[in-house]
Amino acid sequence: MKEEDSTYLKELAESLVAFGRVNGADEVEISILDGYEFSVDVRLGKIENLVEAGSRSLGLRVIKDKKTAFGSSSDLSRETLQYLVKNAIKRAQLASTDEFSGLPPLSPKGFNIPSLRLFDAEIAKLDSEKKIALAINTEKIALNDKRITNSHGASFETKEIKTTLANSNGFLQEYEQTFCGISLGLQAGETDSRVEDYWFSSKRFFNELEPPEEIANIAVERTVRQLKPRKIKTQNVPVIFEPMMTSWLLGFLFACISGVSIYQKTSFLVDKLGKRIGGSNLDILDDGLMPGMLGTRPYDAEGVPCQKTQVINKGILKNYLCNTYAARKLTLKSTGNSAGTGVTPNNFYLVPGSIPPKEIISSLDKGLILIRTLGHGLNPVTGDISRGAYGLWVENGEIVYPVSEITISGNLGEILNNIEMIGNDLDMRSSVSGPTIKIKELTVAGQ
Amino acid sequence: MKKPSSLLFEDHFNIPLDYLQKILNISLSRGGDFSEIFLEYKLYNFINMEEDIIKETAESISLGLGIRVLSGEKTGYGYTNNFSFEKIKKAALTASSISSSHERKKTSLLNSVQFSHNFYPVLKSPHKESMEKKISLVKKAYLSARNFDPKIKKVKVSFLDQTQHLTIVNSEGLLISDARPLVRLDCLAVAEKEEKREAGFSGGGGRVGIEYFSNTLTPEEIGQDAAKEALNLLEAVLPPAGEMPVVLAPGHSGVLVHEAVGHLLEADFNRKKTSIFWNKMGKKVANCQVFIFDDPTIPHFRGSYNIDDEGTIPKKTLLIKKGKMTGLLQDRLSAKLMNKPLTGHGRRQDYTCMPIPRMSNTYIDRGEYAPEEIIKSVKKGFYAHKFQGGQVEDSGKFTFSISSGYLLENGRLTAPVKQATLIGTNINILNNIKMIGSDLKFGPQTGTCGKEGQQVPVTDGCPTIKIAKMTVGGQK
Repeated sequence: MKEEDSTYLKELAESLVAFGRVNGADEVEISILDGYEFSVDVRLGKIENLVEAGSRSLGLRVIKDKKTAFGSSSDLSRETLQYLVKNAIKRAQLASTDEFSGLPPLSPKGFNIPSLRLFDAEIAKLDSEKKIALAINTEKIALNDKRITNSHGASFETKEIKTTLANSNGFLQEYEQTFCGISLGLQAGETDSRVEDYWFSSKRFFNELEPPEEIANIAVERTVRQLKPRKIKTQNVPVIFEPMMTSWLLGFLFACISGVSIYQKTSFLVDKLGKRIGGSNLDILDDGLMPGMLGTRPYDAEGVPCQKTQVINKGILKNYLCNTYAARKLTLKSTGNSAGTGVTPNNFYLVPGSIPPKEIISSLDKGLILIRTLGHGLNPVTGDISRGAYGLWVENGEIVYPVSEITISGNLGEILNNIEMIGNDLDMRSSVSGPTIKIKELTVAGQ
Repeated sequence: MKKPSSLLFEDHFNIPLDYLQKILNISLSRGGDFSEIFLEYKLYNFINMEEDIIKETAESISLGLGIRVLSGEKTGYGYTNNFSFEKIKKAALTASSISSSHERKKTSLLNSVQFSHNFYPVLKSPHKESMEKKISLVKKAYLSARNFDPKIKKVKVSFLDQTQHLTIVNSEGLLISDARPLVRLDCLAVAEKEEKREAGFSGGGGRVGIEYFSNTLTPEEIGQDAAKEALNLLEAVLPPAGEMPVVLAPGHSGVLVHEAVGHLLEADFNRKKTSIFWNKMGKKVANCQVFIFDDPTIPHFRGSYNIDDEGTIPKKTLLIKKGKMTGLLQDRLSAKLMNKPLTGHGRRQDYTCMPIPRMSNTYIDRGEYAPEEIIKSVKKGFYAHKFQGGQVEDSGKFTFSISSGYLLENGRLTAPVKQATLIGTNINILNNIKMIGSDLKFGPQTGTCGKEGQQVPVTDGCPTIKIAKMTVGGQK
């Protein structure tokens, strides 16, 4: 490939759309990802791995006679791409006619991409030494704590991604975004009674990353608090979810309110639009337009503008999150959540309450603080949850000891109706996030 | 320099051999012990059927190379999918930056290695079969599930075939190539009764040609299995909770071996002393009936390969013998640092990833008990039938999730049970294995294992097994 100017990918996308149309496609969509990544893993003070690379990939969709075919390639030579487009047009004939297929109409809305704060020019300028030193320092601070007996290592990584999207309805846009992150994994205790945990910070802007001290101290604290766990008897008790656990629960909820699982009927929330599915204290939003956040983007994978969508309002299910296809199947509107054939959360979060997490713990006479889960055990069709878990046991409002080798089980539908308290500690650490919450009762199985 | 025969990377990659030699030299220009180029050209086809229509098809081409330099315990890695000499050179320099000894190391002249074995002979590459033929398989599975019972309301079937061409060259002079087919046909069926809804899954495939779906497992069987499971779950009760004897069904329960034992015997976790097994080589870690193998050479299995992703010819590896730990799964880096022989377990997801020690096809070998005898021996307990997956930590704590099982009462399977979780610490559970059946089976050829963000196809297996005591997480 010859050296190129900054409009090269836009022109490539546009020309392939035209090529597809000339060769008989009714509709064509081309998306290109141009990425650059750097990552360094250090362990016990030394570099383990250093990775640096740039790569590109292209995805395409063609529709002919309401029949759809997809293609993708990491080989961006024109010869390969034109072959793929032609072959997709031919292959589309093998699919069935699907009246719901097709691209979204062109939105008249313009995009103010800079105001979304997706790109940090600083990240490209960071020199390798500085990036390596950050990882080494983060781990070093943690290893200074004598309770830490081994390390999974610390990592620092950055990503720069340019996304280009063109379609035959006249959409042609591109934007750049950056990510950077530090993470650290630790072990405490002796070989046969080890405990482990990790902590991280992940942002779009380098100067917004939490400092190494903070990441290291939290990673240490999260690890050592699990030392000398006890087993408990099987019982039904109130359970407090720490923010990371609420985020995990919300990730499961997202799978259940995705328009795709609704039309496929693989969710327990089928036919629940407009109905009460949770307590009146429950508000959940998906917002693609929050400046600088991890899940923010101007438009989704099909070019539909992102928006702020009320998912659950005072316990009432207001919207399923849809791409264009799912929306047509359900006679709804796309919510700007497309990820190709699937859907993805933008910034999907539970609106925080006003109670400090400490007060939530003090309110617990006897119960569990859920700190980590392990395994699978989520069934969107029924909402059933069953997972291996780690926690802290609470009596009379005080943490008394850690517990392990337990499982928690319950049902998401019931949990949504039994959230008794909502914390004020939402930190938007990832694109799906929530504050501390207290659930009235779950089954905790142990001995 | 010999010209490699069968799989010519020159055909797929259009890079002359002396170019690669040059790149290897550049990658060691700042020192380092070893360098390697992994070239990959991957093709796949995908078909999706839902809502009674062939909803879409997809075709994908992935082409790229990754360059790795080892220097002591350190790895430098660069990759690119742009094959201009400048870009490849840049990736080589990135990888080389891990070393700073400036002792120029010589690379050996590339010498093509041929091997005579083939663990995945197929009549015709699945990639080259017509789309029409593949679509007809999808439709057969779909209709078998859809028409199985009026309570089956939704079905989704997908077919995926993939061919991975790879060539590995390294500074020791190795030049070796392979082409790996991989096929998978999956069915999801949703059954409804009154307000209740349940889903069943089934699937099959492996490193096979599509003749597999006539000779080994038909699409009709896959469709019916998914439908049966969904219907069965409609009648299922909530699982019990607490500690109790657990009997694992043969085949599917191989997930236990994979999670409880396999991961923690991957050499990297032991070299770094994070695995609970790191100081237990030669020691008793399981009941003396237990033999555990990892075998990448089983014909047609998903987890099999003719060469691993570092170009090593793989070996069937004995991990646990009569309950004693005897082996680890090695890749090049760990084997070298631990001064152990290679086992051929260095695997990677694709050219963007560096290889790490991984499992292939992992299983507990057969024992001497008849399966009926094992079931009969339990008065009150839990029978784990189908597994969704599992997870383990280096500390040995693991869980696995069961999508369907049965209550065991007075030596008989009684009510079907849904969605349970088993949890334990591996060494406890391995010692609590009390009976091993004679009925070794392997789980479905649909498994994928994730480690450090890299997904690779695997298979696992086990016979019927009784565990004296294990925590079952349920709601009753």
